[in-house]
Amino acid sequence: MSYRVGVDIGGSFADFAVFDENRKTIHTLKVFSRPDSPGSEVLDGVKLLREKYGIDPEKITYFTHGTTVGINTVIQRNGLKLALFTTENFTDVLELARLKSPDMYNLLSRRPEPLVSRDMVFGIRERVDALGTVVTPLEHASVIQALNAALQQGAEAIVISFLHAYRNAAHEQQVSAIIREIAPELPVICSSATWPIIREYERTITAVIAAYVQPRVKYYLSSLQKALKNTGIRPELHLTKSNGGIMTAELGKEQCAQMILSGTASGVIGAGYVAKTSGVEKCLSLDIGGTSADVAIILNGQPHYDVGEYIGEFQIFVPSVSVSSIGEGGGSIAWVDRFGVLKVGPTSAGSSPGPACYGLGGKKPTITDAFAVCGFLGNATLGYSAVTIDRELARQAIEPLAKQLDRSIEQTAEAIIHIALSSMYSGISALVSRFGIDLGAFACLAFGGAGPMMGCLLARDLKMKETLIPPTPGVLSALGGLIADLKNDFVSILYRDLDENCLPEINDHFNRLEVQALDWLRNEQAHDGEYEIIFSADMRYRGQSFELETPVDIQALRRGDITELARAFHHEHKKVYGHADTGADLQLIALRLIIVGQTPKFELPVFELTHGAPSAETRVSAWLDGRYQSLALYHRSALRPGHVFYGPAIIAQDDCTTIVPDKTRVTIDKYANIRVVPELI
Amino acid sequence: MSMDQTNLQILANYCAAAAESMGWTLMRTAHSTFIKETEDFSCQILDVEGRTVASPKTMGATWYTGLDYGEVLRGLDYEDGDIYLTSDPYSGSLATHTPDVHLWKPIFYDGQLMCFVGCHVHNTDVGGAVPASLSRSLTEIQQEGLRLPPMRLVRNGQMNEDLLNIIRRNVRLPEQNLGDLNAQLACVMTGERKIYEIIERFGPTHFLSGLEDLQSYAEKQARAIIRTLPDGDYSFSDYTDEDSVNGYPMRIHVTLRIRDDQIELDFTGSDPQLSSSLNVPTGGKEKHSLALIAVIYALYTLDPSITLNHGLTRPLRAILPRGSVVHAVEPAAVGMRSLTCNVIQTAIFGAFAQVLPDKFPASPSNGVSLLNVKTQSASGRMIMASLGPVGGGAGAGPNNDGSEGCGANMSFLKNTPVEINEAEVPIRMLRYGLVPDSGGAGFYRGGSAVEMSIQVFTPEAIVTARNRDRCVFTAWGLLGGRAGGASRFSKVSTAHQTQELGSTDVVKCDPGDILTIIGPGGGGYGNPFARPEDKVRTDVLRGFITPKAALDDYGVVLTDKLDIDQAATTQVRASKNQSELSLFGHGEGRTVFEQIWTPERYNILTQILARIDISWRHFIKNKLFDVIKTHPISAESGVVDVINAYNDLQKSFPNLPVFALI
Repeated sequence: MSYRVGVDIGGSFADFAVFDENRKTIHTLKVFSRPDSPGSEVLDGVKLLREKYGIDPEKITYFTHGTTVGINTVIQRNGLKLALFTTENFTDVLELARLKSPDMYNLLSRRPEPLVSRDMVFGIRERVDALGTVVTPLEHASVIQALNAALQQGAEAIVISFLHAYRNAAHEQQVSAIIREIAPELPVICSSATWPIIREYERTITAVIAAYVQPRVKYYLSSLQKALKNTGIRPELHLTKSNGGIMTAELGKEQCAQMILSGTASGVIGAGYVAKTSGVEKCLSLDIGGTSADVAIILNGQPHYDVGEYIGEFQIFVPSVSVSSIGEGGGSIAWVDRFGVLKVGPTSAGSSPGPACYGLGGKKPTITDAFAVCGFLGNATLGYSAVTIDRELARQAIEPLAKQLDRSIEQTAEAIIHIALSSMYSGISALVSRFGIDLGAFACLAFGGAGPMMGCLLARDLKMKETLIPPTPGVLSALGGLIADLKNDFVSILYRDLDENCLPEINDHFNRLEVQALDWLRNEQAHDGEYEIIFSADMRYRGQSFELETPVDIQALRRGDITELARAFHHEHKKVYGHADTGADLQLIALRLIIVGQTPKFELPVFELTHGAPSAETRVSAWLDGRYQSLALYHRSALRPGHVFYGPAIIAQDDCTTIVPDKTRVTIDKYANIRVVPELI
Repeated sequence: MSMDQTNLQILANYCAAAAESMGWTLMRTAHSTFIKETEDFSCQILDVEGRTVASPKTMGATWYTGLDYGEVLRGLDYEDGDIYLTSDPYSGSLATHTPDVHLWKPIFYDGQLMCFVGCHVHNTDVGGAVPASLSRSLTEIQQEGLRLPPMRLVRNGQMNEDLLNIIRRNVRLPEQNLGDLNAQLACVMTGERKIYEIIERFGPTHFLSGLEDLQSYAEKQARAIIRTLPDGDYSFSDYTDEDSVNGYPMRIHVTLRIRDDQIELDFTGSDPQLSSSLNVPTGGKEKHSLALIAVIYALYTLDPSITLNHGLTRPLRAILPRGSVVHAVEPAAVGMRSLTCNVIQTAIFGAFAQVLPDKFPASPSNGVSLLNVKTQSASGRMIMASLGPVGGGAGAGPNNDGSEGCGANMSFLKNTPVEINEAEVPIRMLRYGLVPDSGGAGFYRGGSAVEMSIQVFTPEAIVTARNRDRCVFTAWGLLGGRAGGASRFSKVSTAHQTQELGSTDVVKCDPGDILTIIGPGGGGYGNPFARPEDKVRTDVLRGFITPKAALDDYGVVLTDKLDIDQAATTQVRASKNQSELSLFGHGEGRTVFEQIWTPERYNILTQILARIDISWRHFIKNKLFDVIKTHPISAESGVVDVINAYNDLQKSFPNLPVFALI
């Protein structure tokens, strides 16, 4: 008997997914999260696993974890007091950022207060040019002076970010060594070591965020490691990374830039795995919780990756699973403005006090309350009995709005649902145009506590191909950690024109990156299994100000065929932007490499297909499309693979409720996914 | 679905979705960096009359909210599938300089015209006398490149090849222009698809009425805000340093008339149409977006929940005198109208500051120089590159210091990384950062200016700095706040000769020359001597101000270790008379100028100019300035000096009319 465990700790709940390697089955579990005492939710969970499923902690062979501790540190602004060392005369890199203000029409709009205040930024006399040549040697005295001042002003860590350090990191390394000599305990982070990309603000903010969250992440992970040890769990703790891979927690404590989006990435990885297994090529994952609604594009099981993901008010520029926020989730509050127009959000009741219908003290009408009023919620227990739905409280919360609007409470509730849906429609439409995709060929994979509640309705508005609800939508993030591979990104900046002469340089850089990557995998991660290396290049037409990541055929390069690179770029440019200019000069900005060390995979359980329709548990009256209708209520556990039935219907299960609209056909596939497709009339 | 107050937000979200989708499509498929990086574009959903119902809120240029295509749309014959365009500032006042190409597509449903979708992009070059088609020195629109009157681009799926050939023959980078034109086509096609989704959801009748409902909602929001403003007339003037190359200052004068829930903006008293390219071709349209955008900023600042569409302009009306700089007539050059637009904005902000000084900020810096360099690579290849904007911060507001380095009416600007500039162009950046003591002093401090210093290494390098301004007339402070710092532009040669360049916008450089631009700072807000002492000290510690400024401008005495010397500070601050807080804190440049050119003198100047033929106006303005500059100044406002000077000129130029003035 052996078990693999994935845990995802969010704001309200900690979700557990356990894979039984012998029986090939998955167990899930939800416990309240304990932000006050990190690690104790894991103790609670492990205890419950033993009680509920008889799982012996000593039999756990693998333990991964997705966490939001890093991102929360930035949002709550309770990270380290940092000092930043920059090149002299360029100390305002954080103050200026990229200039643009968040709210362009507001004369009082300000960019967010930098994470390092200006008195903690020190210019160091040194200079390297764009080719990496030293123009001004590092002046030792200016380092000492800056260090003394930083220490005197209470710096708890130092970030070093010099101009063109992506090209020549020597000065950053020298300063780091000087500091280590004088203040060996002081954490030092170099921009060139964090993520060595060109563009000084982007590289600097990435290193600053990594340094800023580091002590909290370290404390948190250490507490968790201790808790695991105390419960008898022996395997080394692994973390999900922003790039959708995993790494050891030990490394995560040092490389925080890599794990800051750990929590969000896990869910998308889980969704990608479900999509791939279920044969869904094009998929939009929809993760709606109490306080957030996020979407991601997944093609052939691979999430879309990007740089510049938001961490609170700031962006971070390491390659990450690209997740777009499209709203504030089920807790968004509805209100009527002074002109009598009904609005939803952006204020949210959050997880505390939460929606009125939870009876936890919330009085404001939320999206969740609107669903409760319409009769979709409260038909079965929710959240592993952690929450009960009081429909009357929801009605009381919405009634004042209904009076203002001179509508019935149900009409008002349905309008709230439609406004929330239209706002998500708007966010997704922007994404569709940004990436040039056709949603008609996409499935909506809905998860999170509120995803299944809104997924089918949203897919209907967006004219998507189908909606897929996995068997355990509430714990998909925990599942994501279980199937993620060891994965790391490497980059090397070339910034040169692409011509025949650059072949040796390219091959040389790729070879060096490959050595680094293997060292990471074999030595730092102690992985002796299979691995795969993916090569790519960031290129552009000369004159463009942004790069396009282009897949590289390394064999062609090693054969000496440089023309392949240009061909691949034109192809990629046409694919993404709709046009290519095969006559134009190309610039090669960066070479990239991803190493993936495969972890043991488990197969999602496959079930025998039965035939026929499930029998509804009961029928309930629910307000849908402007009237009360009698809807079949199914319990998820009664749905068997192979079952076929038709909407409208409600499907209740422990961790969520699925709403199936009219004119749809529902099938349960061999993985026990609910698949909802529009019925053509 | 029926349309009412309960469902209006759903339609608003759907229209926002259509507009954002159009914007993303344009950005994604555009060829030129100008669109992708600078985001100088707009796109909109227009009702059948051509009024903007929705536009993207987080991307593109902000100045075109409430754009009205009406005049150019009317009188054209439309079929399903047609696409039209124009770039002529003198055909319906839609395009406001020649690089802006506006495109629009009628949307039909069951044979009925439902709405239009439109967009515009700023093309990097449209031909004409100078590369990039824009220069202060140009005097007629014909020098500013290709002008396309409203005409059809597509019918029955066929592109108008004749038109494309004309474009190819007249611009410097035809592939880029045509590439961007394709992006615009993709943009309106996306718009059409999204509109069909909306019509299918709401039905054609509700869709049509919904477009009106959304505008009427915005109108109600605007009126509700305006009703909270005290009725009255509020006048304000702001200036540019030069009205042409090495010219005299130019004044924008505005009178804001608030009556119940309506606003009138009267630009009478502004400068005449100029023989430079600083003119704004509004066509005198009372709801022109370039005349009203500052009011929309003001309304949004008071209530950020307002709906950004043409409905906001219903309670607004601008009076734009014909033949003035705010209503130039053909063939006036208009390429650099953005500099004048900035001054229009700060003049309007100044008027609003009098209405509610506790709600509005001091003047933003304005005078953001857009730096470009033309040089060559080591291999001799010609390089033209934008180095980014160099300006200054926002004016301080009633609750906060001004945004540093950029903000307020310039919030949409993005900079170019130092590392990219150095990798692309054979120059070295010597400094890029904020300038101490440049933000106007105040209880809240104005946003600091930016300094950029570069060294060039190739012969014949040419640096252009579009929109140079604010070397003399600096950003005003409010309610006791001081003016922001002045802009400076200088060149230091290898022989250590320093040359002050002022508002020069084209500079030829030799190898080794160092160019430094210091932007202007934002104005301060409130009494600087009341700014909390620890905040003043923090500003010193953070290098936003020097210890000397802490003492001189804020009355805070710091010890050598930068601790507050409490006793000395109390004494210094007590000695400052805090009871006389002037509403506006003008800088020295303006104060000195207005001693000679008092508001009364300038008023009579503009009155005289308004009464002579348009073609004479700038010439006579210059002549009168020449005279007044050297003339002994009479007492008080000196209106009579100006009249006498005109009468003398009239004797020399008998074509000028004779007035009986005063």
